[in-house]
Amino acid sequence: MEIVRLPEPDEFGPEDRKIFDNTRHWFGIDFVPKMSLVLRMRPAIGDGLTQASRRAMPDRVLTRGQKELIAAAVSAMNVCEY
Amino acid sequence: MTNNLNSLADGVRCPLDFGASERRPLLALVEPDAAPPEVRAVYDEACRFYGMDRPPAVLRAMAGDPAFLRGVWSAVRAAFGEPEPGHAGRLDRLTKEVLALAASVTAKSEYGVDFHLREVRRLGLPEAGVLEVLQVTQLFNGYTKIADALRLAPTDFAPLARPKDADPMRPG
Repeated sequence: MEIVRLPEPDEFGPEDRKIFDNTRHWFGIDFVPKMSLVLRMRPAIGDGLTQASRRAMPDRVLTRGQKELIAAAVSAMNVCEY
Repeated sequence: MTNNLNSLADGVRCPLDFGASERRPLLALVEPDAAPPEVRAVYDEACRFYGMDRPPAVLRAMAGDPAFLRGVWSAVRAAFGEPEPGHAGRLDRLTKEVLALAASVTAKSEYGVDFHLREVRRLGLPEAGVLEVLQVTQLFNGYTKIADALRLAPTDFAPLARPKDADPMRPG
């Protein structure tokens, strides 16, 4: 159980909800990931990390699939169930 | 396999194979000219596999027991080799080395980072690609810490249907 209350997506402003729409589209899902909610709770931090992720994750030299594999490997090594 | 090898290499302070290193190993490494034939056979395979003139220090560190060395090396070859014909969609060797580099950075393995950084470059990954590996590794080492610190519960994803024989490593 989370140690902070995560707001519902509709508790955020229109700009944040636009970001959530992009996130749902990017991942092909119909909900907002909890990490996205966390990042929008602290925009001063979340904006930079979101920008870095948008820079790092698309197909470039490595494919997005390869990058998601890296993310999964790092998560497994850190035993991060989320 | 990456953690398997890195744990020994860093644990007994194997000298780095490529970068400058003042590490002195805590046990005697079996050098090729002193190795019995069965060990030399593994060394020769490893040198060909990695394009090296001298076998990796981590193999020399475990060569005091040739049977053990052969077992581990067989597993390394199976894990890191190119997929056999007829296995489309399996990971290619460069992708496996990319994952090994990410794992080594995550585990803070000096030996592993030195080894796999050289290997991804040798296999053709340009510096822009190396940066991408490090960027994704850095980001997700951070995200996993945030998720754990806040105890974010995982989301249950419905299983995705995949087209038969789809290659997940190619952009759609």
